[in-house]
Amino acid sequence: MKKIFSMFLAALLLSTCLTGCGDSDSAGGKNSQTPQQANSSDSGKALKGEITFWHCFTQGVRMEAVQAAADSFMKDNPDVTINIETMSWGDFNTKWKAGITTGDLPDMSIAQNTGEVAEMLNAEMLAPIENVVSAVGADRFSENALADMTKNDTKYGVPYYSHAQVMWYRQDLLENAGLSVPKTWDQFRETAAELTKDGVYGAGVSMSPNDLLCTRYLNYYVRSGGGSLLNDDLTANLTSDLALDGIRFWVDVYQNCSPAETINYTVNDHATMFYQGITAFDFNSGFMISGVAGNREDLLDSISCAPLPVMKEGDPYYSAETTHIPLVIWKNSKHPEICEAFIEYLFKDDNYVEFLSAVPVGMLPSLAGIADLDAYKTNETIVRFSDEAAVITDAVNNGRAIGFEHGPSVQAGLLTSQGIIENMFQDIVTNGTDVAEAAKNAETRLNEIFSTQAE
Amino acid sequence: MNLNRRLRNNSGGINGSNTTRWFFVLPALAIVICLLIYPLMSTLVYSFTNKTMTKTTFKVIGLANYISVLKDPAFFSAFGHSLLWTAGSVLGQVIVGFIGALSLNQVKNKKIQNVFRICAIIPWAFPAIATAMVWKWMLNGIYGFIPTSLVNLGLTNEMLQFLSTSQLVMPTLMFINVWFGAPMILVNVFAALQTIPQDQYEAAQIDGASSRQSFLYITAPHIRTVVGLLVVLRTVWVFNNFDMIYMITAGGPAGASSTMPLYIYDTGWTGMMVGKASAASMLLLMFLILLCVLYFLVIRRWEKED
Repeated sequence: MKKIFSMFLAALLLSTCLTGCGDSDSAGGKNSQTPQQANSSDSGKALKGEITFWHCFTQGVRMEAVQAAADSFMKDNPDVTINIETMSWGDFNTKWKAGITTGDLPDMSIAQNTGEVAEMLNAEMLAPIENVVSAVGADRFSENALADMTKNDTKYGVPYYSHAQVMWYRQDLLENAGLSVPKTWDQFRETAAELTKDGVYGAGVSMSPNDLLCTRYLNYYVRSGGGSLLNDDLTANLTSDLALDGIRFWVDVYQNCSPAETINYTVNDHATMFYQGITAFDFNSGFMISGVAGNREDLLDSISCAPLPVMKEGDPYYSAETTHIPLVIWKNSKHPEICEAFIEYLFKDDNYVEFLSAVPVGMLPSLAGIADLDAYKTNETIVRFSDEAAVITDAVNNGRAIGFEHGPSVQAGLLTSQGIIENMFQDIVTNGTDVAEAAKNAETRLNEIFSTQAE
Repeated sequence: MNLNRRLRNNSGGINGSNTTRWFFVLPALAIVICLLIYPLMSTLVYSFTNKTMTKTTFKVIGLANYISVLKDPAFFSAFGHSLLWTAGSVLGQVIVGFIGALSLNQVKNKKIQNVFRICAIIPWAFPAIATAMVWKWMLNGIYGFIPTSLVNLGLTNEMLQFLSTSQLVMPTLMFINVWFGAPMILVNVFAALQTIPQDQYEAAQIDGASSRQSFLYITAPHIRTVVGLLVVLRTVWVFNNFDMIYMITAGGPAGASSTMPLYIYDTGWTGMMVGKASAASMLLLMFLILLCVLYFLVIRRWEKED
């Protein structure tokens, strides 16, 4: 008897251990049912089950707003459990990519941008989200945003909120120096250099390979000249005359207007400089307002924003980068019907306005009609920064994600997630590598990665 | 009779009693397989494939990953940085820890000794993230306490960029690592010093031995095995250290502080080339095994001499 018992225990332990070793058939194996199939089979039934939702809303107010919506949804659907897992923006990309091998993936999540949705689609990890689009109303979403998350005429993501890149500046510093808001890149460089004194820097140029700031800045410049960081065949383009000019321009700004320390800065370190009044200019979205309010409330009346500079005066308006933060459902979900219902719930007017008001102007509505609601437009911050909100809204409506001027592609996503352009800038600044040579090396590395990762 | 049966059972052969023993061993074996053999073998297998992070399918490509790694200048740059980082850090830790232990050993008051020992271990009480953040903040080239103090004291004309210039970044990181690791050497060497019989020193004194001779012929032989083992451990730990450098500089600027673990991380996680990262991991493993074998040969020789 003892022998049988010990054999049973040993076998049990062995099987438990080996379960963890299994090379899981990844996400797809858990459930082959599409959301549409699941919904049709469950239609009319009360929702029942447990889902996991990954998001990166680490700021207290946003996290609380999402948690409140989940709690309320669970109250309305007592047989539903929503487990929310919060992680930093920096960890998210790594986490889901590791999850493809380990099988540790959520039922639904946000994505950091539409480029990341392209990467998720390339890995064949997402489930269609057509039901949500139909339920909320396709015409209420931005056509560009939906197009960026469409593959073979099927939509795989919906934008939760939107923002765009504009130029932020300190009005008080400009006024004190008798300078005006720059309209061209040359004016920007001159103005930033003039403001670099007395402990204030004109602008930061941050180069950490753990972030995308150099790619973003180079993209502004290249887009303003009508170019792109991708060729039509979706190979990288860092060696065009325009791109080389752009690289030289930002290296020059770094050397003359930026603290040297920013060579290792990520987006948070970078933005904090503007929040704390260390830099006079920055390029970012409406999140700047809450950042400054949290760090130097006394500067709130001194900040404002304008469209991105152009090459030369009289050039047409452009928007270099619009970001839609998508919501997606993962193919492995056992309960896509709950994910769909919860996403629809998040978009209900009251829930949605409450979420957006967590970071007013920073998170702009991705749904038409929301900005006209009294509950939204009477928000104190939105009233106070209405001019800035208008500038950003224009940029949102006219821009797309980096590299998406050629349509959604995994190459566009990889362009920003590899840190190769940031490494190139560091190489030029630190080692004095020739710009053309460094650009050629970075272009080659990007194309190697494109060829191994893209289908 | 009973004894004979027991001996027969222990001598091997498949019978009930031996099978049971195997089942008792199985849990431990399973854990070893899961935690050591499986990751090692999967890394070895992946190193011969084109496995990427985002694809579940892959194919065997022979030695292509090894060739690619050995052709990559970034690999050799990272390897060089790893050697510098390990040698500088371990040497610094041993020197500082050793001097600290010898000094502490001279303190006769046990209470004071204990207070110093507790104070010395404080860096080890900090999680790596806290250590990294605090140093990063103190060394910040815009508002950091250390660069600002150096300017205020008139020792430098401008804010030193400890973490953002290729000349300063590695020495700075090694300094932080010495600060972090020396207490461990100190505490262990101090413990070894306490085991040396005092009568040997007294006998040497009577024989007219100098302090230098006492150190060379009494202290050093007694503690060299402990120091040798500590050096082996610290070498492997420091060589494989990832968190501190990643959190402080992430290998920058321009790879000036990129070591082998960071190179592997960048290749595997950022570049998503799991196959190539696995090949680099296997090369790193081979190097560390070789290094450990050499270390242990030396230690064995010391033990034989003792």
